[in-house]
Amino acid sequence: MSEYKLNRLETTKLIGNIVDKHWASLRHAKENGEKVAWCSGPVFAFPYAMDMKCHFMAGYSAYAGGRGAAQQLLEIAEEDGELIDACSYHKLHMGMAAAMRKNIPVRKDVILPLPDLLISGRLCPEMSHYAEGLYRKMGVRVTGVDVPPPHQKSEIKYFEKYVERQIRESLIPALEEVCGKPFNYDRLTEILIVLKETAMLRNECWEYLKLKPSPWTLWDYGVSIAPVFYLMGSPEAVPYYKKLKAELADRAAKKIAALEPEKSRVYWDGWLPWAFLGKFSRIMCKLGMVPLVGRYPWEFFPHPETIDTEGDPVASFVKQVYSNGGQAKDNMPSLNLPVIQNWVEDYKIDGLIMFSSKSCRMWNLGHNDFIAAIERQNGIPGVVIEGDMVDTRMNSFAQIETRLEALAEMIEARKE
Amino acid sequence: MKQRALNQCMKVSGDPYGYLKEWKGNNNKKIISCFAMNIPEEIIHAAGLLPVIAWRSNESVSIGHSHVASFNCGLTRSFIDDVLKEKLNFLDGVVINRMCLQAQGIPFILEQNTKWANIIYMSLPALYGSDCIRDFFKSELDRLIIAMEKCSGNKITTGKIVNSIEIYNHNRKLLSDIYEIRRKNIGIISAREMLSIVHSSMIMPKEENNKLLLEVIEELNLKVAEGNHKSGIPVVIYGSLCQTPHPELLDLIENTGMVVVDDDIFIGSRYFVNSLDISDDPIESMANRYLSHIPPCPTKGDYKSNWSTYISDIMNKNKAKAVITLMIRYCPPHMCAYPDDQINFEKKGIPEIMLEVEHEIISLEQVRTRLQSFVETIGGI
Repeated sequence: MSEYKLNRLETTKLIGNIVDKHWASLRHAKENGEKVAWCSGPVFAFPYAMDMKCHFMAGYSAYAGGRGAAQQLLEIAEEDGELIDACSYHKLHMGMAAAMRKNIPVRKDVILPLPDLLISGRLCPEMSHYAEGLYRKMGVRVTGVDVPPPHQKSEIKYFEKYVERQIRESLIPALEEVCGKPFNYDRLTEILIVLKETAMLRNECWEYLKLKPSPWTLWDYGVSIAPVFYLMGSPEAVPYYKKLKAELADRAAKKIAALEPEKSRVYWDGWLPWAFLGKFSRIMCKLGMVPLVGRYPWEFFPHPETIDTEGDPVASFVKQVYSNGGQAKDNMPSLNLPVIQNWVEDYKIDGLIMFSSKSCRMWNLGHNDFIAAIERQNGIPGVVIEGDMVDTRMNSFAQIETRLEALAEMIEARKE
Repeated sequence: MKQRALNQCMKVSGDPYGYLKEWKGNNNKKIISCFAMNIPEEIIHAAGLLPVIAWRSNESVSIGHSHVASFNCGLTRSFIDDVLKEKLNFLDGVVINRMCLQAQGIPFILEQNTKWANIIYMSLPALYGSDCIRDFFKSELDRLIIAMEKCSGNKITTGKIVNSIEIYNHNRKLLSDIYEIRRKNIGIISAREMLSIVHSSMIMPKEENNKLLLEVIEELNLKVAEGNHKSGIPVVIYGSLCQTPHPELLDLIENTGMVVVDDDIFIGSRYFVNSLDISDDPIESMANRYLSHIPPCPTKGDYKSNWSTYISDIMNKNKAKAVITLMIRYCPPHMCAYPDDQINFEKKGIPEIMLEVEHEIISLEQVRTRLQSFVETIGGI
């Protein structure tokens, strides 16, 4: 029996129903006469503002992975000609499209209605490849928004203007045409108001991750991401985070740790392994290792206090992606390194885990250099583990466990 | 048969390091590596610098794997490996285009591991067909001009860019002429030789390469007169974005009863297709070239283009009987585009085989067996 005890949060048990409701409303949108969009990148707030039901590429992939449907969809995609080394998220969508085209029976809760508009938010090039593939297969109308990650600070404002202009000149007209009505700027503002309140509550929850021992973990935050992202503006978002914050405050007062005893505190880089959170959690619990912070989960509106709910909502939204931190800015390692080095101090991190996805090269170039640079400045060790967000075949848990054990030993040795 | 010029192309292509080190020693000019596709080289050239296209070396990746995981493309791994082995110390900088996630991640590794003062990152846009995209492309060129002026210390004027375009267009024309000679005289030149000719253009200063290519054309015309051509089933090769395919692989194709009559690979026709308009607004000309949907490019977010149709047009032009896909392993843009191309080839009744190309030595015997079977199925030997 393990010497460690995992104390599960009550609030996170609510998220399943909230997320299910979102995807169910999307599945039934056509029956209700609603328009549907599929979207990659961070611009789904815009179809939401038009009261469209909108899928989000990575969110759907996490959902399908979490529901245990990923492997079947990936295999359907490969039977349809997709290559095994291609992006898993891309392949999940191609698998869903193939299942729809060929009437292959799969779980009904992972089949979505064909969209009226595909929005290709090109934050990473693969995010446009999925739209290209679906366009070729389904012939659905596409509108693209190029969202380049800045490489240096001087590019941030410049890219911000570029993305804002594309939204005004391409995305909004496309949405107006598909929906047959003018763009609803007031609704976008309402969404931003809810997002601001939700993300500010979330930031207060983040503060509890700095406590030692921490009352919650990165995995808890991982499953709580939807309300500050693809569920932005939903009525459940603020109540969820209020409840979470209250539970964390209670735990902090009672000194209840997420994992007892908390032996080491680690940083997690790269995608969260959506389909394998339980497996990773079990391995890390055995080692007394608590994941606390990572640049991917921190990219979702880290500075909500800067959301301008009085002025132009389009400009305000884009600023969240660029000037005020967020997705585009956080995808470039050169801008991230000093941020991570500060987190190591703020969150009292003992070690680094770099999750290198075999099918997505978004985060993995530079992992070893991150470890070297942080080790030089902060004196903590790190390991790279290779796997995939949703593809079982790319995760060797025996190897992963060995590497995490090695990290635990290195952390222990340095503490001594 | 006299083939001094062709041998020179082979020599440059076979030892780019040696050639460039010697060139730099003789010319005392800065060399800028372009990683990899769609970099507007004319601007770098107009600054008085030598732009060269990044290539993968012939050496297996070793210490590079401490920085780049093995599931990245060969060009990325090999380039970083060469940097770490200090084989690229003759370079004065690199211009990288955001054409894939690997290119997106490279600058950080270079910043951490080199002392290059010039690591320029360009975010050339997706072809989403708006004025905004065109304007952004042009503003990216403006940024490159500023960076190259700083690197060289030279002012880049419109006149200098136009002059560079003329030199580059001449190079494109000469390469195009060589391809036309191959089209009209199937088997006159091997796929390996053609690869080295285009590769030499990517390495050498265009002014020198233009002279060399004129000689190559003379040599080929003499060979045409001699009438000694290799015969075989005419095939087109396509794919191989960014990365040099193994010349041995090309030999295998042509040693199993096929002959390459045309291609759509980067170190091939993709590099020189589409000349630039000569005008008072060279930036606009560059935008026209980049924003063209021909040749289709899966790195450009161009969802409307149909690569397989473009390839079948090339096949028809050359009366080719089959197509060979060269798939660079871990090339996401091509990996994501290929399944639809494969289906389209099948629908059109075009025989096609996909060969996966790795940086490391592949099992050539297995490839030989597959190619032999392919030749049998398309009615060959």
